[in-house]
Amino acid sequence: MLIICSFVSANAILKNVARSALAVQQRTNYKQVGKCDPDMEWKPIMDRASQTVFWTELLKGLSITLGYLFKEPATINYPFEKGPLSPRFRGEHALRRYPSGEERCIACKLCEAICPAQAITIEAEPRSDGSRRTTRYDIDMTKCIYCGFCQEACPVDAIVEGPNFEFSTETREELLYNKEKLLTNGDKWESEIAANIQADYLYSGYLTIEYLSLSCLAVAMQAASSADFPE
Amino acid sequence: MPFYRTDELKTGTLVGEDDYGNKYYQNPMYFMGRSRWVEYSPAVGMDYDGSQVPPEWHRWLSYMSDEPPTVAKLVKYPWMQKHTENLSGTPQAYVPYSTVPAKIQAWTPPPKKR
Repeated sequence: MLIICSFVSANAILKNVARSALAVQQRTNYKQVGKCDPDMEWKPIMDRASQTVFWTELLKGLSITLGYLFKEPATINYPFEKGPLSPRFRGEHALRRYPSGEERCIACKLCEAICPAQAITIEAEPRSDGSRRTTRYDIDMTKCIYCGFCQEACPVDAIVEGPNFEFSTETREELLYNKEKLLTNGDKWESEIAANIQADYLYSGYLTIEYLSLSCLAVAMQAASSADFPE
Repeated sequence: MPFYRTDELKTGTLVGEDDYGNKYYQNPMYFMGRSRWVEYSPAVGMDYDGSQVPPEWHRWLSYMSDEPPTVAKLVKYPWMQKHTENLSGTPQAYVPYSTVPAKIQAWTPPPKKR
Protein backbone atom coordinates (compact mmCIF):
# COMPACT_ATOMS: atom_id res chain seq x y z
CA MET A 1 0.00 0.00 0.00
CA LEU A 2 2.74 2.40 1.03
CA ILE A 3 4.69 1.64 -2.09
CA ILE A 4 1.67 2.31 -4.28
CA CYS A 5 1.07 5.59 -2.47
CA SER A 6 4.61 6.72 -3.03
CA PHE A 7 4.22 6.24 -6.77
CA VAL A 8 0.73 7.64 -7.14
CA SER A 9 0.51 11.27 -6.09
CA ALA A 10 -1.70 12.16 -3.13
CA ASN A 11 -3.53 14.65 -5.27
CA ALA A 12 -4.71 12.03 -7.70
CA ILE A 13 -5.96 9.72 -4.94
CA LEU A 14 -7.90 12.45 -3.13
CA LYS A 15 -9.45 13.66 -6.38
CA ASN A 16 -10.70 10.18 -7.19
CA VAL A 17 -12.02 9.56 -3.68
CA ALA A 18 -13.89 12.84 -3.49
CA ARG A 19 -15.64 12.80 -6.83
CA SER A 20 -15.77 10.47 -9.77
CA ALA A 21 -15.41 11.84 -13.28
CA LEU A 22 -18.83 10.46 -14.12
CA ALA A 23 -20.76 12.39 -11.48
CA VAL A 24 -19.00 15.80 -11.79
CA GLN A 25 -18.23 17.66 -14.97
CA GLN A 26 -14.53 18.49 -15.21
CA ARG A 27 -13.99 22.23 -15.68
CA THR A 28 -10.67 23.19 -17.21
CA ASN A 29 -11.20 26.63 -18.70
CA TYR A 30 -11.12 28.86 -15.65
CA LYS A 31 -8.86 31.44 -13.99
CA GLN A 32 -7.91 31.10 -10.32
CA VAL A 33 -8.33 34.55 -8.72
CA GLY A 34 -8.30 33.60 -5.04
CA LYS A 35 -5.69 31.85 -2.97
CA CYS A 36 -4.34 28.82 -4.80
CA ASP A 37 -4.93 25.39 -3.36
CA PRO A 38 -1.88 23.93 -1.65
CA ASP A 39 0.31 21.77 -3.78
CA MET A 40 -0.55 18.16 -2.92
CA GLU A 41 2.60 16.52 -4.22
CA TRP A 42 4.54 14.59 -1.54
CA LYS A 43 7.51 16.92 -1.43
CA PRO A 44 5.57 20.14 -0.69
CA ILE A 45 3.46 18.26 1.84
CA MET A 46 6.61 17.09 3.64
CA ASP A 47 8.05 20.63 3.51
CA ARG A 48 4.91 22.07 5.09
CA ALA A 49 4.82 19.36 7.72
CA SER A 50 8.47 19.90 8.64
CA GLN A 51 7.92 23.67 8.87
CA THR A 52 5.17 23.05 11.41
CA VAL A 53 7.05 20.36 13.33
CA PHE A 54 10.42 22.12 13.50
CA TRP A 55 9.00 25.70 14.11
CA THR A 56 10.95 27.17 11.24
CA GLU A 57 8.62 30.17 10.90
CA LEU A 58 8.84 30.83 14.63
CA LEU A 59 12.64 30.80 14.55
CA LYS A 60 12.65 33.10 11.53
CA GLY A 61 10.46 35.59 13.38
CA LEU A 62 12.59 35.41 16.51
CA SER A 63 15.75 36.00 14.51
CA ILE A 64 14.24 39.25 13.20
CA THR A 65 13.50 40.23 16.80
CA LEU A 66 17.07 39.44 17.73
CA GLY A 67 18.33 41.53 14.83
CA TYR A 68 16.40 44.58 16.02
CA LEU A 69 18.07 44.25 19.42
CA PHE A 70 21.36 45.25 17.83
CA LYS A 71 19.96 48.06 15.67
CA GLU A 72 20.04 51.73 16.67
CA PRO A 73 16.66 52.50 18.22
CA ALA A 74 14.38 54.89 16.37
CA THR A 75 13.04 56.39 19.61
CA ILE A 76 14.60 59.00 21.88
CA ASN A 77 15.32 58.38 25.52
CA TYR A 78 13.39 61.17 27.24
CA PRO A 79 14.17 62.88 29.64
CA PHE A 80 17.86 62.34 28.89
CA GLU A 81 17.42 63.20 25.24
CA LYS A 82 14.85 65.68 24.01
CA GLY A 83 13.22 66.22 20.66
CA PRO A 84 14.01 69.29 18.58
CA LEU A 85 12.01 72.47 19.25
CA SER A 86 11.59 75.63 17.20
CA PRO A 87 12.56 79.03 18.63
CA ARG A 88 8.91 79.88 17.94
CA PHE A 89 7.69 77.03 20.14
CA ARG A 90 4.63 78.09 22.12
CA GLY A 91 4.84 76.65 25.60
CA GLU A 92 4.31 77.99 29.09
CA HIS A 93 3.46 81.68 29.31
CA ALA A 94 5.74 84.25 30.89
CA LEU A 95 5.60 87.99 31.54
CA ARG A 96 8.86 89.65 30.61
CA ARG A 97 10.76 92.59 32.03
CA TYR A 98 12.88 95.29 30.44
CA PRO A 99 16.63 94.89 31.01
CA SER A 100 16.29 97.47 33.78
CA GLY A 101 13.97 95.12 35.65
CA GLU A 102 10.84 97.16 34.98
CA GLU A 103 7.90 94.99 33.97
CA ARG A 104 6.87 95.42 30.37
CA CYS A 105 3.12 94.93 30.56
CA ILE A 106 1.21 98.22 30.29
CA ALA A 107 -2.24 96.69 30.71
CA CYS A 108 -3.45 97.52 27.20
CA LYS A 109 -5.57 94.35 27.37
CA LEU A 110 -5.03 93.47 23.71
CA CYS A 111 -4.13 89.93 24.70
CA GLU A 112 -7.27 89.66 26.79
CA ALA A 113 -9.32 90.90 23.85
CA ILE A 114 -7.80 88.58 21.26
CA CYS A 115 -7.68 85.43 23.38
CA PRO A 116 -10.07 83.00 21.62
CA ALA A 117 -10.42 80.87 24.72
CA GLN A 118 -10.95 83.92 26.97
CA ALA A 119 -8.33 82.55 29.32
CA ILE A 120 -6.80 85.91 30.29
CA THR A 121 -8.17 88.26 32.96
CA ILE A 122 -6.61 91.67 33.49
CA GLU A 123 -7.29 94.44 35.93
CA ALA A 124 -5.25 97.62 35.95
CA GLU A 125 -4.78 100.84 37.82
CA PRO A 126 -2.13 103.58 37.89
CA ARG A 127 0.83 102.82 40.09
CA SER A 128 2.06 105.25 42.75
CA ASP A 129 4.57 106.70 40.26
CA GLY A 130 1.72 107.35 37.80
CA SER A 131 2.54 104.61 35.28
CA ARG A 132 -0.21 102.26 34.21
CA ARG A 133 0.35 98.67 35.25
CA THR A 134 -1.71 95.57 35.85
CA THR A 135 -2.81 94.62 39.33
CA ARG A 136 -4.28 91.34 38.16
CA TYR A 137 -2.96 89.31 35.26
CA ASP A 138 -4.46 85.84 35.43
CA ILE A 139 -4.18 83.13 32.80
CA ASP A 140 -6.23 80.00 33.14
CA MET A 141 -3.81 77.49 31.64
CA THR A 142 -6.56 74.88 31.53
CA LYS A 143 -8.50 77.10 29.12
CA CYS A 144 -5.51 78.21 27.06
CA ILE A 145 -5.24 76.60 23.63
CA TYR A 146 -1.63 77.79 23.06
CA CYS A 147 -2.50 79.60 19.83
CA GLY A 148 0.05 82.35 20.47
CA PHE A 149 -2.33 85.20 19.63
CA CYS A 150 -1.53 86.90 22.96
CA GLN A 151 2.16 87.23 22.17
CA GLU A 152 1.36 88.38 18.64
CA ALA A 153 -1.06 91.01 19.98
CA CYS A 154 1.33 92.34 22.60
CA PRO A 155 2.83 95.69 21.50
CA VAL A 156 5.66 95.58 24.07
CA ASP A 157 6.59 91.85 23.91
CA ALA A 158 5.48 91.47 27.52
CA ILE A 159 3.42 88.29 27.37
CA VAL A 160 5.24 85.53 25.55
CA GLU A 161 4.82 81.81 25.26
CA GLY A 162 8.15 80.50 26.40
CA PRO A 163 9.94 77.31 25.38
CA ASN A 164 9.00 75.38 28.53
CA PHE A 165 6.52 72.55 28.16
CA GLU A 166 7.39 70.65 31.33
CA PHE A 167 4.95 72.42 33.64
CA SER A 168 2.41 69.67 34.20
CA THR A 169 0.85 69.76 37.65
CA GLU A 170 -0.70 67.33 40.06
CA THR A 171 -3.72 69.49 40.80
CA ARG A 172 -5.94 71.57 38.56
CA GLU A 173 -5.68 74.75 40.64
CA GLU A 174 -1.92 74.97 40.10
CA LEU A 175 -2.65 75.80 36.47
CA LEU A 176 -4.57 78.96 37.33
CA TYR A 177 -1.60 81.30 36.94
CA ASN A 178 -1.58 84.76 38.48
CA LYS A 179 0.65 87.71 37.76
CA GLU A 180 3.35 86.73 40.25
CA LYS A 181 3.66 83.27 38.76
CA LEU A 182 3.90 84.64 35.23
CA LEU A 183 6.53 87.20 36.22
CA THR A 184 8.48 84.47 38.02
CA ASN A 185 8.38 82.38 34.85
CA GLY A 186 9.76 85.34 32.95
CA ASP A 187 12.52 85.89 35.49
CA LYS A 188 13.56 82.25 35.27
CA TRP A 189 13.37 81.82 31.49
CA GLU A 190 14.38 85.29 30.26
CA SER A 191 17.78 84.19 28.94
CA GLU A 192 16.25 81.63 26.62
CA ILE A 193 13.18 83.72 25.70
CA ALA A 194 15.37 86.67 24.73
CA ALA A 195 17.63 84.43 22.65
CA ASN A 196 14.66 82.90 20.85
CA ILE A 197 13.15 86.29 20.04
CA GLN A 198 16.56 87.41 18.81
CA ALA A 199 16.80 84.31 16.60
CA ASP A 200 13.39 85.03 15.06
CA TYR A 201 13.44 88.84 14.79
CA LEU A 202 13.59 88.92 10.99
CA TYR A 203 10.38 86.99 10.65
CA SER A 204 8.20 88.16 13.53
CA GLY A 205 5.73 91.04 13.52
CA TYR A 206 6.92 94.52 14.11
CA LEU A 207 10.23 94.70 12.38
CA THR A 208 8.76 93.28 9.19
CA ILE A 209 5.84 95.68 9.31
CA GLU A 210 8.12 98.62 10.04
CA TYR A 211 10.45 97.62 7.26
CA LEU A 212 7.57 97.24 4.79
CA SER A 213 5.97 100.54 5.75
CA LEU A 214 9.34 102.31 5.57
CA SER A 215 10.08 100.92 2.13
CA CYS A 216 6.56 101.86 0.96
CA LEU A 217 7.15 105.34 2.31
CA ALA A 218 10.46 105.57 0.48
CA VAL A 219 8.86 104.52 -2.80
CA ALA A 220 6.01 106.99 -2.30
CA MET A 221 8.43 109.83 -1.50
CA GLN A 222 10.53 109.01 -4.53
CA ALA A 223 7.43 109.04 -6.72
CA ALA A 224 6.28 112.32 -5.19
CA SER A 225 9.65 114.01 -5.64
CA SER A 226 9.94 112.90 -9.26
CA ALA A 227 6.40 114.20 -9.85
CA ASP A 228 7.22 117.54 -8.27
CA PHE A 229 10.39 118.04 -10.25
CA PRO A 230 9.97 116.51 -13.69
CA GLU A 231 13.22 116.47 -15.60
CA MET B 1 24.45 53.91 38.29
CA PRO B 2 24.31 55.82 34.96
CA PHE B 3 23.26 52.66 33.12
CA TYR B 4 20.62 51.87 35.72
CA ARG B 5 19.11 55.33 35.17
CA THR B 6 19.36 55.70 31.41
CA ASP B 7 19.00 52.03 30.35
CA GLU B 8 21.58 52.54 27.63
CA LEU B 9 25.27 53.12 27.18
CA LYS B 10 26.35 55.93 24.89
CA THR B 11 29.71 57.48 24.22
CA GLY B 12 30.09 61.17 23.52
CA THR B 13 32.11 64.26 24.26
CA LEU B 14 31.39 66.29 27.38
CA VAL B 15 30.14 69.69 26.20
CA GLY B 16 29.65 71.30 29.58
CA GLU B 17 28.19 71.20 33.03
CA ASP B 18 25.56 73.53 34.51
CA ASP B 19 25.29 75.05 37.98
CA TYR B 20 23.16 72.16 39.21
CA GLY B 21 25.65 69.39 38.37
CA ASN B 22 23.95 68.15 35.20
CA LYS B 23 26.42 67.14 32.52
CA TYR B 24 25.76 67.56 28.83
CA TYR B 25 27.13 65.31 26.12
CA GLN B 26 27.13 65.31 22.37
CA ASN B 27 27.86 62.75 19.69
CA PRO B 28 26.76 63.65 16.14
CA MET B 29 27.13 59.99 15.13
CA TYR B 30 23.61 59.49 16.46
CA PHE B 31 20.64 60.94 14.61
CA MET B 32 19.16 64.31 15.61
CA GLY B 33 17.12 63.84 18.74
CA ARG B 34 19.60 61.35 20.16
CA SER B 35 22.79 63.23 19.41
CA ARG B 36 22.63 65.48 22.52
CA TRP B 37 21.85 64.23 25.96
CA VAL B 38 22.03 65.15 29.60
CA GLU B 39 23.32 63.13 32.50
CA TYR B 40 21.40 64.41 35.50
CA SER B 41 23.27 65.31 38.65
CA PRO B 42 24.08 62.34 40.88
CA ALA B 43 22.62 64.41 43.73
CA VAL B 44 19.06 63.84 42.50
CA GLY B 45 19.47 60.07 42.32
CA MET B 46 16.48 58.46 40.69
CA ASP B 47 14.38 61.63 41.10
CA TYR B 48 15.59 63.04 37.80
CA ASP B 49 13.11 65.07 35.79
CA GLY B 50 13.01 66.75 32.39
CA SER B 51 12.35 70.11 34.02
CA GLN B 52 15.71 70.06 35.85
CA VAL B 53 17.47 71.35 32.73
CA PRO B 54 18.02 75.12 33.14
CA PRO B 55 16.90 77.46 30.31
CA GLU B 56 20.33 78.07 28.76
CA TRP B 57 21.03 74.37 28.33
CA HIS B 58 17.39 73.67 27.49
CA ARG B 59 17.92 75.77 24.39
CA TRP B 60 20.92 73.72 23.32
CA LEU B 61 19.40 70.39 24.33
CA SER B 62 16.26 71.13 22.28
CA TYR B 63 18.36 71.86 19.18
CA MET B 64 17.25 75.51 19.04
CA SER B 65 20.88 76.55 18.80
CA ASP B 66 24.00 74.66 17.86
CA GLU B 67 26.26 76.64 20.17
CA PRO B 68 26.09 75.54 23.80
CA PRO B 69 25.79 78.35 26.38
CA THR B 70 29.48 77.88 27.18
CA VAL B 71 30.26 79.22 23.69
CA ALA B 72 27.37 81.60 22.90
CA LYS B 73 26.61 83.33 26.19
CA LEU B 74 22.96 84.22 26.80
CA VAL B 75 21.79 87.42 28.46
CA LYS B 76 22.05 87.65 32.23
CA TYR B 77 20.37 90.35 34.33
CA PRO B 78 20.59 90.83 38.09
CA TRP B 79 16.81 90.48 38.48
CA MET B 80 16.74 87.03 36.95
CA GLN B 81 15.90 84.13 39.23
CA LYS B 82 17.51 80.76 39.67
CA HIS B 83 15.97 77.91 37.75
CA THR B 84 13.81 75.46 39.65
CA GLU B 85 12.46 72.14 38.55
CA ASN B 86 8.72 71.57 38.28
CA LEU B 87 7.66 71.85 41.91
CA SER B 88 4.21 70.37 41.51
CA GLY B 89 3.48 67.82 44.21
CA THR B 90 5.99 69.29 46.66
CA PRO B 91 5.29 71.71 49.53
CA GLN B 92 6.84 74.51 47.43
CA ALA B 93 4.26 74.05 44.66
CA TYR B 94 2.55 77.17 43.35
CA VAL B 95 -0.90 77.79 44.78
CA PRO B 96 -3.01 80.44 43.05
CA TYR B 97 -4.05 83.52 44.98
CA SER B 98 -5.61 86.83 44.08
CA THR B 99 -3.27 89.75 43.48
CA VAL B 100 -5.97 92.37 44.09
CA PRO B 101 -8.05 93.12 47.18
CA ALA B 102 -11.58 91.76 47.19
CA LYS B 103 -14.16 93.84 45.31
CA ILE B 104 -16.68 93.60 48.13
CA GLN B 105 -15.70 94.28 51.74
CA ALA B 106 -17.96 92.37 54.06
CA TRP B 107 -19.77 94.47 56.64
CA THR B 108 -19.74 93.27 60.20
CA PRO B 109 -22.97 94.39 61.86
CA PRO B 110 -22.66 96.20 65.21
CA PRO B 111 -23.70 94.10 68.21
CA LYS B 112 -27.37 94.39 68.97
CA LYS B 113 -28.24 96.41 72.09
CA ARG B 114 -30.28 94.54 74.58
